[in-house]
Amino acid sequence: MPTQHVDLPQGTLDLLILRTLALGPQHGWGISERVQQISSDVLRIQQGSLYPALHRLERKGWIKPRWGTSENNRRAKFYELTKSGRRQLEVEEDAWKKLTAAVAQVLGTA
Amino acid sequence: MLSDLFFRVRSLFRRKAVETELDDELRFHFEQQLAKYVNSGLTAREALRRARIDFGGLDQVKEECREARGVHMMETVFQDVRYGLRMLRKSPGFTAVALLTLALGIGANTAIFSVVYGVLLRPLPYQDPSRLIVLRETTPKVGTVDVSYPNFLDWRAQSRAFSKMAAVSSVAFNLAGPGSGLDQPENINGAAVSSDFLSMLGVRPMLGRNFDASQDQAGTAPVVLLSYPLWQSHFGGALNVLGRTVALDGRSFTIIGVLPPDFRWIEKIDLLEPIGVKAEDPDFNERGERGDMVVLGRLVPGVSFAQARAEMEGIAARLAQAYPGTNDQFGVELRPIREVFVSDLRPAVLVLSGAAVFVLLIACANVANLFLMRGASRTKEIALRIAVGASRSRIICQILVESLVLAFLGGLLSLGLAFAGIRGMARLIPVDMLSGASVSLNGPVLLFAAGVIVLCTFVFGLAPATHSTKPDVQSELKESGRAMSGSIGQGRMPGVLAIAEVSLALILLVGAGLMMKSLYRLLSVDPGFRPDRVLTMNMSLRTAQYAKDPARMNFWQQVLAGVRALPGVEAAALGTVVPLTDNHSRSDITLEGMALPKPGSFPHPDIHIVSPGYVNTLGIPLQRGREFTDADIGTAPQVAMINAALAQRYFAHQDPIGKRLMFGRPSAKRAPEWITIVGVAGDTKLYGLANPARLEVYVPFRQSASSDMTLIVKSGTEPAALTSAIRTAIASIDKEQPLFGVATMQQLVDNSVSTRRITLILLGVFGGLALLLGAIGIYGVLAYSVAQRTHEIGIRMALGARGGDVVHMILAQGAKIAGAGVLIGIIASFGLTRLMTKLLFSVSPADPATFAAVAIVLVLVALLASYVPARRTLRVDPMIALRHE
Repeated sequence: MPTQHVDLPQGTLDLLILRTLALGPQHGWGISERVQQISSDVLRIQQGSLYPALHRLERKGWIKPRWGTSENNRRAKFYELTKSGRRQLEVEEDAWKKLTAAVAQVLGTA
Repeated sequence: MLSDLFFRVRSLFRRKAVETELDDELRFHFEQQLAKYVNSGLTAREALRRARIDFGGLDQVKEECREARGVHMMETVFQDVRYGLRMLRKSPGFTAVALLTLALGIGANTAIFSVVYGVLLRPLPYQDPSRLIVLRETTPKVGTVDVSYPNFLDWRAQSRAFSKMAAVSSVAFNLAGPGSGLDQPENINGAAVSSDFLSMLGVRPMLGRNFDASQDQAGTAPVVLLSYPLWQSHFGGALNVLGRTVALDGRSFTIIGVLPPDFRWIEKIDLLEPIGVKAEDPDFNERGERGDMVVLGRLVPGVSFAQARAEMEGIAARLAQAYPGTNDQFGVELRPIREVFVSDLRPAVLVLSGAAVFVLLIACANVANLFLMRGASRTKEIALRIAVGASRSRIICQILVESLVLAFLGGLLSLGLAFAGIRGMARLIPVDMLSGASVSLNGPVLLFAAGVIVLCTFVFGLAPATHSTKPDVQSELKESGRAMSGSIGQGRMPGVLAIAEVSLALILLVGAGLMMKSLYRLLSVDPGFRPDRVLTMNMSLRTAQYAKDPARMNFWQQVLAGVRALPGVEAAALGTVVPLTDNHSRSDITLEGMALPKPGSFPHPDIHIVSPGYVNTLGIPLQRGREFTDADIGTAPQVAMINAALAQRYFAHQDPIGKRLMFGRPSAKRAPEWITIVGVAGDTKLYGLANPARLEVYVPFRQSASSDMTLIVKSGTEPAALTSAIRTAIASIDKEQPLFGVATMQQLVDNSVSTRRITLILLGVFGGLALLLGAIGIYGVLAYSVAQRTHEIGIRMALGARGGDVVHMILAQGAKIAGAGVLIGIIASFGLTRLMTKLLFSVSPADPATFAAVAIVLVLVALLASYVPARRTLRVDPMIALRHE
């Protein structure tokens, strides 16, 4: 149902991608499936934003691509987290936690 | 940062691979998604539909990925360059006109400003040249005259405004040929200078040493510094030249140094000698002897030009009081050295710079127009591209790149043009007029002109982009036919620019027209002599063997006899002060029996010392009496001829023949030496065709021996062919006697108008350029207008207008532009041509005939330029036109 989906706030896509890749190398489709799965279908990543984001993160050197074979034996482009990507993930997780806590606090008191 | 760049570059070069990978990656995703939908139980068809919806615009995703990779910027620039080249190839007419305009605009400007820079702006190769002042004397009667040595010494002793002063006295030397180990004797220009001269300029000899203060005193040993060119041409650039001697005027001079290659002075100088050598001449130390000396002064820091002038005027006034016999009414003229260097060419160069700026403006207007019109026809293309997803910045970037490609190609073409232009101009300008200035391609100017035009291209090229990238893309698309679009969009701007072009072209053409008329009038002036088939050359007797008058006279007699005996020679004569040369010799005279005027108001004619046959050889009409004969020798009664101007002024109602005159003013100390007038010759234009005739007196050369004479030869055929025969004849009399300044009388006449002729030629070229560019401008505007109005024209024709009516309509549009341009141009010209008054001769800057002729030419050219697009309307088929877009 459309109402179940929540639009991704600005800047969270990178965080989700990095977090997903922290679990292990994954291809683009896998990433979007995983996010959807873990978020119980609440979060859906549009391909239109996913792939530009992947290429952007690759350019920043936080993830790096590797061609491999998918579960169903297809050639697929896997992405894995680099060292600087791991650091970046920590930074972004930290920032996100602070943000949500602060927002929750405001919502709770107001 | 670096790795980022590396990433981008790699993406760029592995473009194909990256693209394939991107394709594969996205297809994989699509197929996974499809498989998922199929597995969830959807029909194949529905699954495909859903997967496609999920995916959105594939190309858009790809484009965003490329952008995310940063491939974009560099790749798109390459892409845009390719696209730009393709677009330019697709519209060859536009490209050719734009390139031509760019090349002409940039090229003409670069060429002319290279000359301006070389002549007016290039810093003189001196230390702090802005504080260097050239001083000369002035007298109310003649104007500026040279300085006498005693006056210089007093100036230097009394002045506090100048930290240093140096005397620079022009000297000509006869450089012995065989006597100095050289092939031919030569007459060489040099200067006798104070020892401070070079150090004041900040010039150091590149070899050897400068003069020292002891060499300012009379009696110093004869030494010389060679100019770099003379060292190269006559001594092969030999390093061991120091200490060698050269025979100058029959005297042995030791070479003590060589000047640096970039040394230049107001006049061409090939030798420097210490002023002490010249000071041995007793005449040189006469206060009244104002020979060929200028004084160079360096202002004390902090002292202004005006202060220096005030001080010098005070000094001159004191000298006038102390020495009334020689200095009465003499003042001082001070001029910054830069001004002295460029005085002859300055007005012409300034007018031409103005003309070049006009051409630049016209070129800009043309380029602007071209781009405006092209842009207007592209608004739809641009709107369409925005509609399918191109970003605004992307399109602006593309247009900029396209303009840049065009400007770059135009710039390349202009480079060739500028080179050719500079070469042509360098050949046009006589070397002695440049005072050693060199003219070469000037990079900053090239960049400047290119920059202005590129800027123009950008500004006007961008107009359609900014216009069509406004949010309401749809209205542009919907407005498809632009049916009655006469006034829509950039409608008025091209017309205004075309009007401006016509006005500017008119101003330039009026300038050229006025110059042409001036030159024509000038060349139709009767010079008072007949220049055809007359050859002139100079000789200067400078060696000791000719110190005495009889030896000189004997030499001149032998020259006349030898030359007259040559086959092909119709007549030959000798004379000083040949018309249109820079040689002048003037003196006060007293006419017998006349009321004595005040000291400053005595008749002050030019004095010619001439051989028999002089007026005849030059074709000067003898109006009364007789010419000199071989009987007019030293022991015979002293005789003279006067010119018509003198006869009219002082013998208005009487016959001057038999009257007597004397040189100088009456003096109680000596008995007057009266000279009888035996003939009256016609006036000659001694000081240039544009200047009025002056008073002249002729005396026979055997009653007044001169060391310097010009040989004048009238030949039966081409006069220059006689040169070598004459050289041989002179060498057989004295093999060390140089002949110099060989020129036909016609060349002297031509040279005397060369500034005007150069100005005319260049103004003519600029005017022609302007006319061409203006015509292109009008053509472009109308061609565009016709294209835009095809629909309207179709309707008109469908409603019964005939072809002729439509042609008239377009012609009228062209005539309107031309008319407005001509009107504005004429008004502007009235103001501007005043600035070139100095260059004109017996033509008013507002000469109605010139204005009318130019206006007619412009209107005709404009109509011609309008006619081509106007005719195009005849081919309009109403049916097609109505369906047009």
